[in-house]
Amino acid sequence: MNRTPTPEAFGQDPWKARIDRVFARALVLPLLLALGLLALLLGDTLYRSVSVQVVRADMGPGHTYPFGLSAETILRQELLAQGYTEEEAAFMLQDPKERNALFLQNRVELMWNTHEGPFRYVVTNVYDERVADFSLAEGLRRWNELKANLQEGERLVLNPWLDQTFLTRPPSRSPLTAGIGVAIWGTVWVLSLALFFAIPVGIGTAILLEEYLREGRLSRILEVNLRNLAGVPSIVYGLLGLALFVRGMGLGPSVLAAALTLGLLGIPVIVVTAREALRAVPDSLRLAAFALGATQRQVVFRVVVPAALPGMVTGVILSAARLIGEAAPLLLVGAAAYVPFAPTGPLSQYTVIPVQIYLWISQNQPEFARVAAAGILVMLLLLSALYLMALYLRNRFRREW
Amino acid sequence: MVSLEQLKEHQTVRTDPVPESQALVDVRQLSLWYGTKQALYDISVRFPKNQVTAIIGPSGCGKSTLLRSLNRMNDLVPGVRVKGEVLYEGVNIYDPRVDPVAVRRHIGMVFQKPNPFPKTIFENVAFGLRLMGVKGSELEDRVVEALKRAALWEEVKDRFKKESGLRLSGGQQQRLCIARAIAVEPPLLLMDEPTSALDPIATQAIEDLILELKERYTVVIVTHNMQQAARVSDRTLFMHLGVLVEEGPTEVIFTKPKHPYTEAYITGRFG
Amino acid sequence: MEILKQRPSRHPVERLTLLVLLLLSSVTLLTTLGVILSLLGDVVQFFRRVPLAEFLFAPEWTPLFAEPRYGIAPLLAGTFLVTAIALFVAVPLGLALAVYVSEYLPSDKRARVLGVLELFGGIPTVVFGYFALLFVTPLLQKVIPGLSLFNPLSAGLVMGFAILPYVSNVAADAMQSVPRSIREAAYALGARPYEVALKVVLPAALSGVIAAIILAASRAIGETMIVAIAAGQRPTLTLDPRETIATMTSYIVQAATGDQPVGSTAYYALFAVGFTLFLLTLALNVLAQYIVERYRERYE
Ligand SMILES: Nc1ncnc2c1ncn2[C@@H]1O[C@H](COP(=O)(O)OP(=O)(O)O)[C@@H](O)[C@H]1O
Ligand SMILES: [Mg+2]
Repeated sequence: MNRTPTPEAFGQDPWKARIDRVFARALVLPLLLALGLLALLLGDTLYRSVSVQVVRADMGPGHTYPFGLSAETILRQELLAQGYTEEEAAFMLQDPKERNALFLQNRVELMWNTHEGPFRYVVTNVYDERVADFSLAEGLRRWNELKANLQEGERLVLNPWLDQTFLTRPPSRSPLTAGIGVAIWGTVWVLSLALFFAIPVGIGTAILLEEYLREGRLSRILEVNLRNLAGVPSIVYGLLGLALFVRGMGLGPSVLAAALTLGLLGIPVIVVTAREALRAVPDSLRLAAFALGATQRQVVFRVVVPAALPGMVTGVILSAARLIGEAAPLLLVGAAAYVPFAPTGPLSQYTVIPVQIYLWISQNQPEFARVAAAGILVMLLLLSALYLMALYLRNRFRREW
Repeated sequence: MVSLEQLKEHQTVRTDPVPESQALVDVRQLSLWYGTKQALYDISVRFPKNQVTAIIGPSGCGKSTLLRSLNRMNDLVPGVRVKGEVLYEGVNIYDPRVDPVAVRRHIGMVFQKPNPFPKTIFENVAFGLRLMGVKGSELEDRVVEALKRAALWEEVKDRFKKESGLRLSGGQQQRLCIARAIAVEPPLLLMDEPTSALDPIATQAIEDLILELKERYTVVIVTHNMQQAARVSDRTLFMHLGVLVEEGPTEVIFTKPKHPYTEAYITGRFG
Repeated sequence: MEILKQRPSRHPVERLTLLVLLLLSSVTLLTTLGVILSLLGDVVQFFRRVPLAEFLFAPEWTPLFAEPRYGIAPLLAGTFLVTAIALFVAVPLGLALAVYVSEYLPSDKRARVLGVLELFGGIPTVVFGYFALLFVTPLLQKVIPGLSLFNPLSAGLVMGFAILPYVSNVAADAMQSVPRSIREAAYALGARPYEVALKVVLPAALSGVIAAIILAASRAIGETMIVAIAAGQRPTLTLDPRETIATMTSYIVQAATGDQPVGSTAYYALFAVGFTLFLLTLALNVLAQYIVERYRERYE
């Protein structure tokens, strides 16, 4: 060879090579942006769920109580401070009715900090009055100033809105005592009933489509219909529920009407996930069962469905997670009402967690935004638990066929 | 019947080795690993200019791997490691200063299954040219030229701008892929079992085409069809278990192979 | 496997099983029928009282005023505005994400990232609404003078992220279904990764990508809580993203949480809006399916 070739002879194209590098890096940005937004959303909600407050106690001084006392002791002391006698206080705490009313009206909360020291209990009641509510940063910055300026009967607290009593209390007109307990029970009732309707229909349809129907008119109709149903906005299901269940069947704004509405909404998701689970079962299993002389039904229900069960359960959990967050359709079938008590049966009035959150957001008082933040955290924790469960199931039962 | 240990001991048996001056590609002591699995063992061979070289051997012996290491397509597989050199016109394409993308522009490749882009016939052939910045009437001329050279022009000349490449028959698709590969005038054309997915008539057309292409291009073709190797190639490489067992002029390999394994394979006793 | 689906046996238990399954799955068909019929009945009532021309062309939607007007245009404009803003965010981000996930990530990470994105879609939309109203709007108000407390801008921006997975995951699926051999062909011609992604894979997956965008649009149109919370509930015929507006969905929420007596025109108006919403989203979904079927590339 009479020339001395160099590697550069291949004609590097530095310009394009650079575009390539920039492009590959730039493509990471949307993912980072999305994750960043998610972090921001969670961070913002967490931040809002804690605030520094000055509250003027309805009666008596703005006492706080040391950590470790029982709620009962604290209430007794509070009653005494409000001017009740020992006997009256003892009576109120013993009579079941009085006691219940007492606990509904007064919330014994553990505060992260108070003007009398960190981690102390305060008693908040419906008639307490907010003097000021500060964001965490501002409140902490001005803590000493606020503490110095406290008036008679006022107390200063660093309030974590999401606490144990929040989970069990009914809603309230006052943000100070509002809780999500009733909504949690509403969600439990509505969701269980909804799944009770949706699971048989969803899984039955999946089995029919995957194991029974040959490709043909009927399977095509079912599939197209399901695909379109999955695309119908959830609020339209609400209108259906309003016209059909609330009015048409005369169920009124009840748990049952909500469950039927939500159930219909959940069916397409359950069908899709159940079909995936069935499809993952290899045909060799079916062939083996048929070869042993099993009938179609025996093959499906004794071999295929058990094999697909973990996948189906995972799918049901995921669709439950989807349904828990649905507010729009339930607004139309009665969840928007003010409901002070947990449902006692399918015909009870109800509200659910996301609707309760929506109602809080729509209130004017700024503390309701804090209550809503606490509600959101509860809902997100619940959803995380469900997703983790689904993830666990998926990994635990993953099979290499 | 043949153990890898026995083979690795062996030097490649060569008949009429290609002199360095006639080689377009000179592979020197090339070894390749997919992760921890070694797929090529210390291969040295030269591919002569303007000739057709066939690579034969039982499936899984590393034919495709060797072929794909000639244009650095193996770089796309995660975890690939290469040792040794591949000199293309005297330049080691595995030199760290060499951009693998630039290498591929000089070397055309045709795959086992026809893989036209879901674009028009015209756009398929124009793709490589556009990457190189060819535009306007020159683009058009060179697309037509490539289609003619791939013996596809007559069949598609009245619809090549509108019709999708996916609409053609399998044999036509493969000729389209050849046209696409040669449109950028690569001196070297690599073909990996280009007829294995085609019927006998389409195969015949491609084989005729290869013989014509030889005038202008250097061709390396992988095939497990021994008749095909015998019909189209000037030289033949026989590989087994990642080792280059024997290489030489095609008639020698097929009529009087020197290595017992080659003979066993040619006469159909294994593989 | 098709062949494993036996003809229905004559054995009574076998037939009963099939019958039960058929009955169960008929619920899905009945749901569709129910949606259409239940809406339609009240829609008919509505159009007995309000002429179609008024519904289509009147410039105001004020069912609760003393002299009510029933023009859907302001609600459509509001819906359009929010949807456009949401797509403006979701389409570029979603496509970039899809390209990244499908073409640049190794397969083991691919599933994980798609899963994370799916979680994004699993966040209840009240949460997004809350974030839009209390975080994004105050932030934007500092930059954009004259931005109302309730505005389609922040609702749309946040909704863009809420529908992001519909764009990214569906588009990534479409790109993943482009066979590897086609990518190899492009690489063998000396294409760089970005050229393979943009000039080969993206065009080859185009029908799927367009379908993804249409589906995302349909989601945005039907999305309720974000707009009800953050965009406001005042029907205004405007395309100014700073003003308070109402969408079809937020009007339905407003009407449903207030108390319209059953049988009033305002009550029936709820269903007229709902039916319009249903038709619009249905049309988009059907269009998306049509595009996927019609333009699907059939590889060997
Ligand atoms: N991408 C890959 N990753 C891991 N191993 C591979 C890969 N491609 C090929 N191999 C292995 O390398 C060996 C040679 O493969 P190949 O070159 O495709 O053989 P041939 O083309 O002769 O049939 C085989 O054992 C094969 O399993
Ligand atoms: Mg091969």
